[in-house]
Amino acid sequence: MSLLQVTGLCKTFGEVRAASDVCFEVRAGEIYGLLGPNGAGKTTTISMISGLLRPDAGKVAVDGADFWSDPARAQKIMGVVPQEVALYEELSGRENLEFWGRLAGLTAVETRERAGEVLEALSLADRARDAVKNYSGGMKRRINIGCALMHRPKLLLLDEPTVGIDPQARANILEFVRQLGAEGAAILYTTHYLEEAETLCSRIGIIDHGKLLAEGTLPELQKRLGGDQLFVLEGNLQQANPDNWPGFRERFRIIQKLDHQLIVSSQNSRHPSECLRDLLELPVRVENVTLKRPNLNDVFLQLTGRELRE
Amino acid sequence: MLWTLLIKDLKRARHNPWPYLLNLALPLCITALIGLVFGPSSKGGGLGQIKLAVVDEDDSVLSSLLRGAMNQGDFKKHLEAHFLERNEAFKQINDNKISAVLIIPKGFTRTYLAGDGPVAFELIKNPAQSFYPAILEELLQVAVTGLNAVARNLRSDLPAWKEVFEKEGRPDMKRIAELMVRVGDKFEKAEHYLFPPLIGYETTTQKKAKEEGPALNIFAFLLPGMAAMFLLFLADHAIRDLYREVTARTLDRFRTLHDRLLPFVISKVVLAMAVVVLGSIVMFGGGVLMFGIHWQRPLAMAVVILAFGLFGSGFMAFIAALARSERRANAVNGVIVMCLSFVAGSFFPARQLPPLFRDHLSPLMPNYWFIESLRALQSGAVDMPWRWAALKLLVLGLGLVIAASWVFQRALAKGIRA
Repeated sequence: MSLLQVTGLCKTFGEVRAASDVCFEVRAGEIYGLLGPNGAGKTTTISMISGLLRPDAGKVAVDGADFWSDPARAQKIMGVVPQEVALYEELSGRENLEFWGRLAGLTAVETRERAGEVLEALSLADRARDAVKNYSGGMKRRINIGCALMHRPKLLLLDEPTVGIDPQARANILEFVRQLGAEGAAILYTTHYLEEAETLCSRIGIIDHGKLLAEGTLPELQKRLGGDQLFVLEGNLQQANPDNWPGFRERFRIIQKLDHQLIVSSQNSRHPSECLRDLLELPVRVENVTLKRPNLNDVFLQLTGRELRE
Repeated sequence: MLWTLLIKDLKRARHNPWPYLLNLALPLCITALIGLVFGPSSKGGGLGQIKLAVVDEDDSVLSSLLRGAMNQGDFKKHLEAHFLERNEAFKQINDNKISAVLIIPKGFTRTYLAGDGPVAFELIKNPAQSFYPAILEELLQVAVTGLNAVARNLRSDLPAWKEVFEKEGRPDMKRIAELMVRVGDKFEKAEHYLFPPLIGYETTTQKKAKEEGPALNIFAFLLPGMAAMFLLFLADHAIRDLYREVTARTLDRFRTLHDRLLPFVISKVVLAMAVVVLGSIVMFGGGVLMFGIHWQRPLAMAVVILAFGLFGSGFMAFIAALARSERRANAVNGVIVMCLSFVAGSFFPARQLPPLFRDHLSPLMPNYWFIESLRALQSGAVDMPWRWAALKLLVLGLGLVIAASWVFQRALAKGIRA
């Protein structure tokens, strides 16, 4: 069952097209990763879904109903975790949770009980009364997520929730999000970390310059490269022109070509040793050839011509 | 929801009270500053002693009598006269130690008694002071009017007086006594013309005023003007919490839960109003303690202050919504408040402004309504009915809150960041 359906979302800021015909859906129990570099349009997309920005065109349907036809209903269903830590630093963790819980419509009693549950789940019960300004970065991030969970949303939007924290804290948050997904929540998770998308998300959409370039499961995206192995040739390739190599284009697909490196995948399902022999016979001096499994960065590379980390 | 938002801000203030305390200390400092600038406090509501230097270049018996009069009775209570040489007197006025210098010119007595021609005192006022020199000028005018009256009515006796004053050695007291008797006879003959006086005054009102407190206190006139300006500054500081909510992204988080911004803006306005009311208590209460002001109608005053609090907070919220960023607000708000305060008469009474301001612009200013209604309440004047002023401030304040919310919501929907 689709809890979030995004169709043809567009948003322009002056000359900049922040989102262009973005379409995807998120089902219950699914963690959908929106992967892209900084400035790709992830936050703009989440802002339009959560009602912070009005789309220029397109439609956001939450639990089957258009967001803007009944925003209050949609807002009750969704919980939003902004990219920045949106908390009151003077207040304690519990006070923050209770405040956002009350605003989300819980009664005083419900709020107190739920805040206790969330603090336990986030392993922050022992620091509940401390002011947030005294928390570590990871603890702030956890409370930041907790505030969005107070009203038990069926749809959770997480905008880069692990930016700027240490690996241990990141691992804790990812585990927590995984549990939420397992409990049946539909989760939209934006990130520019490849590893997060690869290990956490059941489906991934790759976004760049406001356009959703590809989406699918990790194997589906890997398949776009033509196989489950990539060949990395290293050497002086500055003068090399693959178009002049007889039959090369028919047998291989170029993923990336640099002065010192060429990454290719096989066009058909030939045995790697056969491909390796073909590559070694190329009219160019190759110093090293390695094989590797394609990752999301390679997919991104193939889609955009540049690396996600650039 | 409004209650939840207010409780949150009160908790924040409890955890970090310093910004609010500093804001409230501002009016306290201003009140103390006014006290320091305009003189020491006086429970009686008076202005204290006015320091005057007298340079007696005539050095005659008449000028000695005038000098003596300044050290007696009511004069002594209000005037502190120092008899100095010209240079020393000018030095003191340059050092701002006295309010004015009165010079009795050489030959004053001779010319006055001979009736030879016009004779003039010289009054040099201290330009660094405003009220005291003006009061001294008025007093001198009264003295001159009196001396003129004496000269015109006792013209035939003046040569005899002149003779007595110009005689070498000790004054002839026997002769002076004779002259005094003649003057007394003249007054006796004129009694039917002088008494009962055609114009008089009743003392009952004055007595009542003394029992209850001062009827007119210059600080009671000044304070509403100063308060109007500083209360707007206080509202500005308090409402800037809106920007902090934007930069901390807590306002965005609120908007993911509620699509209407009005409750959020109202909560900030209520908080700013509370700060304005506390600031008013500090300023007007400080006026009671420091200047002995007796506020005539505190309840009506409270209503006007509350209405002005709503207007000030709503106005500042509206400016915040238009400015869109704290950096811009920093540049703009101070100028706006100062201009409004000038036009409304915070610095100079509006009736002393040029006609364009006095007749057309000032009466349109909401802070003018506040200032004038407080002054009217204090003086008992009816030219600015406080109920009408309070109503106008309330309606305008509410309108501004709604407008601020609408403008702010539109700006945020377009994606602005403070």
